[in-house]
Amino acid sequence: MDFNIKEEMKKPHLITGGTFACSGCNPILGIRLMLIALGKNVIMVNSSGCMTLTATWPFTPYRIPWVHGAIENGGAVSAGILMGLKALKKDKDTHVVVYAGDGATYDIGLQSLSGMIHRNEKIIYICYNNCQFANTGHQCSSATEQYARTTTTPPPKGNLLPRKNMAKMMAMGGAEYCATACVSYPFDFIKKLRKAAKVEGSVFIDLLAPCEPGWLVKPNETLKAGKMMVESGMWPLYEIEKKKFTISHTPQMTPVRDALKMQGRFKHLTEEQIVEIQKIVVKEWEMITKARFWEAEEY
Amino acid sequence: MIDIIDGNKCAAWGARRAKVQCVPCFPITPTTEIIETIAEWNAKGEFKGEFVVLESEHSAASACLGSSMTGARTFTATSSQGLLLMHEILPIISGCRTPMVMTTVSRCISAPIGLWPDHNDTLAMRDAGWIMFICETNQEVLDSVIMGYKVSENPKILLPVIVNMDGFVHSYTRTEVDIPEQKLVDKFLPHPELEIRLDVKKPMTLGIPAMGLDYMRYRQQLHTAMLDSFTVIDKVHKEWAKLTGRKYDFLDEYKVKDADAVIVMIGANATIARAAVDTMREKGKKVGLLRIRLFRPFPEAQLRKALEKVNKIAVVDQNICPGMGGILYPEIKMALYGTKKIISDYVQGLGGNFVSEEDYIEILNDIMKTKADDRKWQM
Repeated sequence: MDFNIKEEMKKPHLITGGTFACSGCNPILGIRLMLIALGKNVIMVNSSGCMTLTATWPFTPYRIPWVHGAIENGGAVSAGILMGLKALKKDKDTHVVVYAGDGATYDIGLQSLSGMIHRNEKIIYICYNNCQFANTGHQCSSATEQYARTTTTPPPKGNLLPRKNMAKMMAMGGAEYCATACVSYPFDFIKKLRKAAKVEGSVFIDLLAPCEPGWLVKPNETLKAGKMMVESGMWPLYEIEKKKFTISHTPQMTPVRDALKMQGRFKHLTEEQIVEIQKIVVKEWEMITKARFWEAEEY
Repeated sequence: MIDIIDGNKCAAWGARRAKVQCVPCFPITPTTEIIETIAEWNAKGEFKGEFVVLESEHSAASACLGSSMTGARTFTATSSQGLLLMHEILPIISGCRTPMVMTTVSRCISAPIGLWPDHNDTLAMRDAGWIMFICETNQEVLDSVIMGYKVSENPKILLPVIVNMDGFVHSYTRTEVDIPEQKLVDKFLPHPELEIRLDVKKPMTLGIPAMGLDYMRYRQQLHTAMLDSFTVIDKVHKEWAKLTGRKYDFLDEYKVKDADAVIVMIGANATIARAAVDTMREKGKKVGLLRIRLFRPFPEAQLRKALEKVNKIAVVDQNICPGMGGILYPEIKMALYGTKKIISDYVQGLGGNFVSEEDYIEILNDIMKTKADDRKWQM
């Protein structure tokens, strides 16, 4: 492989320090990883969210072209950029990358994303998933886990709805390459992006990116929180290439209790609810390991 | 090339002659024929640009933002609810100072749902930061699309342009139109490279947040560019007149100079009002018509000058702002503030309700009798 991550790390970073990101922010780490994987020929489209505030007049941390349109149109703004690049014959060596939050992807931006996937535009759409509308103060989105606390789903009830199954939905919608990833597994994410860069159609990556103030974890424990979500089986890492499903990391299946207990947003959960989540996780993993991924409800 | 075509074809021809490179769009009556025409040309290989039908007008406008930000010349068209759905994105396009042209084909807004024209859709965009031309004839639509790019892409302006026509009255009505030769348009309309654009060779951060006074400075610059565009538009009008012989101005004055009473209006119905003015002139009544062609930036000074000696002014509004009245009316009152003229408002033709020459004769007779400002509905 011509790509050596150690060599890439030595190059000047394409996103600099000094942004308004919170300490322990994982979404901004995701940007750095994305730029390490894809290099400088990236036009980055941002949908309104936390990461919009990384560049605030007169400062910018970006050494690549970057644009913010609105919250619900990442799929469409990027499609327009691709049209322009094609018209100007500049599309061959440039990656158009959308970096949008889960609210902007699972909820308000679903239509423009679905159009982008349906037209099979050569665009890499990354959803940085912190499981909530974090920028407006941590409200519930359709990526929020069941029973989680957000400001619109306060305890003791928490969020009563299960989360949407986005990567599967996009794969069925026709995306050439779909994957889940987690910032705590940088090599896996970079490997997936390197693969995505070679795809001649639409790509969707759902990147779990823990949020310190939203998940109510310590800034130095956000990476650990992501890792525990993956190892407990609550956030499976997989890829779907042209509807072919592959597990990319076999979790240790640590008790979900440990993953939940370290996050303040699950503090109010009852013993029954924890047991219920554990049962679902075990059942779902059994299905996907027995080649019944498409029947699994949660993943 | 002289042809007999409708307003929709005129808009498409304007885009084709301007050699637009990207057309992100979404269909809606009575605009659809514009994108159908371009789709047909695209299929035959006569249109070489990128043509994509998106999944909504909101996405079409968003794609316009993206494509024009790369520096590709961009065109789209919409109407009514489609324009309202685009509304969120229009100030983003102007705020990012991305040049483009959009044809809006006026159609009344829901509810109740209707197909026929009035100006509530286009006039709702008046604060969006777009330069707005509101046309009377098919020829004017075609010419304005081409001239629109020249204004829009001027490095001192960099503002998007709306060219409005009326649904059905223009869009589906064929008239004799001169389609300018490609060579002539190429000479008139070179494609300047945008300084500010999305390009991996020259990274820029666009569409970023600005807080407090910085935000206000951005907005002030937008307003200043809008006001600066008067001079540019005037120059472009003159250049086009030299090449084609077709003269345009901010205002279209018809027998205003010696008139006692004048109708002030926008849009296609001005042709009917013109006939009413002629009929009344034959009877010795000193009446005239003033059609506002450039709606944004608002040509306040020119309007004031044109109506300097006119005492009775009938503002005709083919739109309604519920709870306030016609939308044009307060703008005319503002321009003429401090003068002792009688200015009345006549709301008519909503949802394409039929308007005849007699209706305008009635309005002119009414305003000549009127002793104080009044607001009326003609229905």
